[in-house]
Amino acid sequence: MSVVEVRELVKQYPSFELSRVSFDVRENRITGFIGRNGAGKTTTIKAMLNLIHSDGGTVSFFGKPMVMNEAEIKQRTGYSTGTVNWYPRKKIKDIVQVVKSFYDTWDNEAYRKYLELFCLDETKMPIELSEGMKVKFNLLLALSHKCEVLILDEPTSGLDPFSRNELLDIFTELKNDGVAVFFSTHIISDIEKCADDIVYISKGKIVAATSKEDFILKYSEPGESLEGTMLRMEGGVSHA
Amino acid sequence: MRNIMLKEMKLSASPLAYLFILFGLMFFLPGYPVLCGAFFSALGLYQSFLYAREANDIVFSALLPIAKKDVVKGKYGFVCIIELCTLLLMTICVIVRMTALKEAPVYRSNALMNANLFALGAALFIFGLFNLIFVGGFFKTAYKLGRPFVFYIVTAFLFIGIFEALHHIPRLEQLNSFGTENIMMQLLLLLAGIVAWLLMTVLSYRKACEQFEKIDL
Repeated sequence: MSVVEVRELVKQYPSFELSRVSFDVRENRITGFIGRNGAGKTTTIKAMLNLIHSDGGTVSFFGKPMVMNEAEIKQRTGYSTGTVNWYPRKKIKDIVQVVKSFYDTWDNEAYRKYLELFCLDETKMPIELSEGMKVKFNLLLALSHKCEVLILDEPTSGLDPFSRNELLDIFTELKNDGVAVFFSTHIISDIEKCADDIVYISKGKIVAATSKEDFILKYSEPGESLEGTMLRMEGGVSHA
Repeated sequence: MRNIMLKEMKLSASPLAYLFILFGLMFFLPGYPVLCGAFFSALGLYQSFLYAREANDIVFSALLPIAKKDVVKGKYGFVCIIELCTLLLMTICVIVRMTALKEAPVYRSNALMNANLFALGAALFIFGLFNLIFVGGFFKTAYKLGRPFVFYIVTAFLFIGIFEALHHIPRLEQLNSFGTENIMMQLLLLLAGIVAWLLMTVLSYRKACEQFEKIDL
């Protein structure tokens, strides 16, 4: 069953166009949203979250249109980005104290669990954190309210291989707890490791939106790795 | 609404916004354009908008589980709280100057406007201009601060100059009343200031809500 439905999403910029983007994020699945830099991943995610206004198409969460039910949908959705800093000179505990007041479902136990897991010191300010720790802090905020869908924009960027691995394991754990995870990345091995479904975007167009197994069946040549397939499809490298 | 105000006060606000409330005490200064107190308090608010922009506050707020118009409401709510706190200090100064210090020579021999109820109404007008020109202007883009603030500076100082000079125009001397002289007129002018502040704030807020819905973050 789909928890997020993106249909015919269009967004035009002078030098870039998101062209009739459609895909689903399914319940109890991890969906990897892959594409090279500038392919339209962040634009799509911003349009999904109503941060930018699409020129056409619809986005629905839990069967309800985002535009009409923004507050309710955001209550049930977690969002994190690896690239933006929130309140760099405020202590983490002060940011958390404010954020928790917005969520009916804030889970202090989960907050403490992830705080410990990510080795975050809540008396520190985001400006004092390394890039990887900033990503973890953003994730901490998204994971501490019992969201049903987790939308993550490049969550693994800047993370060391150990933390990345740890994070991908957390995605699997969350999936087992019934959370639908949607994450964008340009690192193909992230998809290989944990994604159930693949949404592949190139130059603003969806090339494929299907399960990982079907993707491999349809696009991979015999003996070819997923990375090799994607590099070949993107036309960057011809795979031997 | 409580949570969005908490966010504004704890995360988005620059400490200067609170500190600059003290400029309301400029209403005690003799021989000084007292309405500059309202401008300096607004300067603290401007610093707060700058501080919030550096912290990606608007996008952070838009991602919270609230309607977009509540993000705008939070900003206007915070601005109004700071303005009213400044006004409270100004009011204390005015009450002292209208009673205990009404005969003080240092205030009587003042070429600039007296800090009476009319001055309070004028201060509200200066705050109203800030809400209309600067806050409203900011929400056209949710990131451009310079241009609306420059427009505000020019307009605010134009009106400060007018208000400070009005009582020198023949038949407008009463605007500079001391103590409870012409109290009905003073009260009416204060009321006019309140109405102007309310009108400018509400109009600006409505327009900002409409614009904030339309912009891409």
